Amino acid sequence: MIDALERALGARVERAVRLAGGASKEAWSVDTADGRELLVRRAGGGVIHLDTLSLREEFDVLVAAREAGVRVPEPLAYLGDLDGREAFVMERVRGETIGRRIVNEPPPGLGLQMAEELAKIHSIPLERLPALPRADLWERLYAELDSVDEPHPAIELGIVWCRERIPLGRPPVVGHGDFRIGNLMVDEHGLVAVLDWELAHVADPAEDLAWPLVRAWRFGADSRRLGGIGDVEPYLERYAELTGREITLEELYAWEVLGNCKWAIGSLTQARRHLRGEERSVELAILGRLAAEKEYELLDLIERAA
Amino acid sequence: MSGHAHDRPTAAELAIAVHEFLEREILPTLDDHRLRFRTLVAMNALTIVARESPAPPERDWQSARRIRAGDIHEGDVAALKAEVEAKLRVASPGYLERYR
Repeated sequence: MIDALERALGARVERAVRLAGGASKEAWSVDTADGRELLVRRAGGGVIHLDTLSLREEFDVLVAAREAGVRVPEPLAYLGDLDGREAFVMERVRGETIGRRIVNEPPPGLGLQMAEELAKIHSIPLERLPALPRADLWERLYAELDSVDEPHPAIELGIVWCRERIPLGRPPVVGHGDFRIGNLMVDEHGLVAVLDWELAHVADPAEDLAWPLVRAWRFGADSRRLGGIGDVEPYLERYAELTGREITLEELYAWEVLGNCKWAIGSLTQARRHLRGEERSVELAILGRLAAEKEYELLDLIERAA
Repeated sequence: MSGHAHDRPTAAELAIAVHEFLEREILPTLDDHRLRFRTLVAMNALTIVARESPAPPERDWQSARRIRAGDIHEGDVAALKAEVEAKLRVASPGYLERYR
């Protein structure tokens, strides 16, 4: 692969280290002899998730986000075939992404910066990314849940509860799809870069807005509802100020319940990657059992709303 | 263990997953003879657990289908919460402490 990479980059590669990550997509930290610090994303040998973007699409989304002023690593080149697999190269940024560490010492102003980045992401013109998935929210959730082939009445109840409360009347936007602590790189000054765009899709803006509130993404700092780092109200106000979209706390609560349904289903589908032999891993397997944590949370939220 | 139904992976599937992890990711990194031997013994213990684990009970789809159809009963939330709590008492008891 190094030979192919040197040809694609037009420079000698001094160091290439594969970073930990999934089997479906690889990430390589690459230093070139001419002093560039790069990150190469490359398709893995494993079975590709059908519900995630291809690397070509992910690269296009990064370019569009960069154009809209979103803080993202600079996408440098789509490499096409790199030694038999699709790849692209981007700038390598530095900072912290470990959720536990971030919630222990959140940089001041991070909550407001999250609102600002979301406002920019949601300003990307939809026609700029015509290939972005735009499946109906409820159909998508039911399709994923049915693929699990196991009864989950708690999730069923959560979806019915949310359907009664989420109108989906707003014009849809380009959604990041996984905007939360853990996918946001920060340093002591605040947010450095928004990462992990492979779940981008056309969505109601409230879906992204509520996702970092989900308890699993508070990394143990449960009392700070916004991602374990701050309060929801100023974040919501900043977003409304920038976008003119008034989303009430009540509506956001329903989307938070939905976020728990989504992550419960996501945990179950990840466990199926192990159970079906697509990617054998204890980490994926155990998620099948931890889906119950999100079921408990969504039921608790519903109970408290009554 | 309780008579409650648990989600997959089953206990046997979990034991096999850990067996595979030891075999594929840990064993190849071990040079020390004693550690290699103990790891092989541990793997053997896991296969015993997997063989001995009883087949899990059939899952009941009734309430999932009823709720999907929109037929929600009073008391569903409380009953489901008790069911999920029973799953968590096995899968993640520490998590429940976060709600006390």
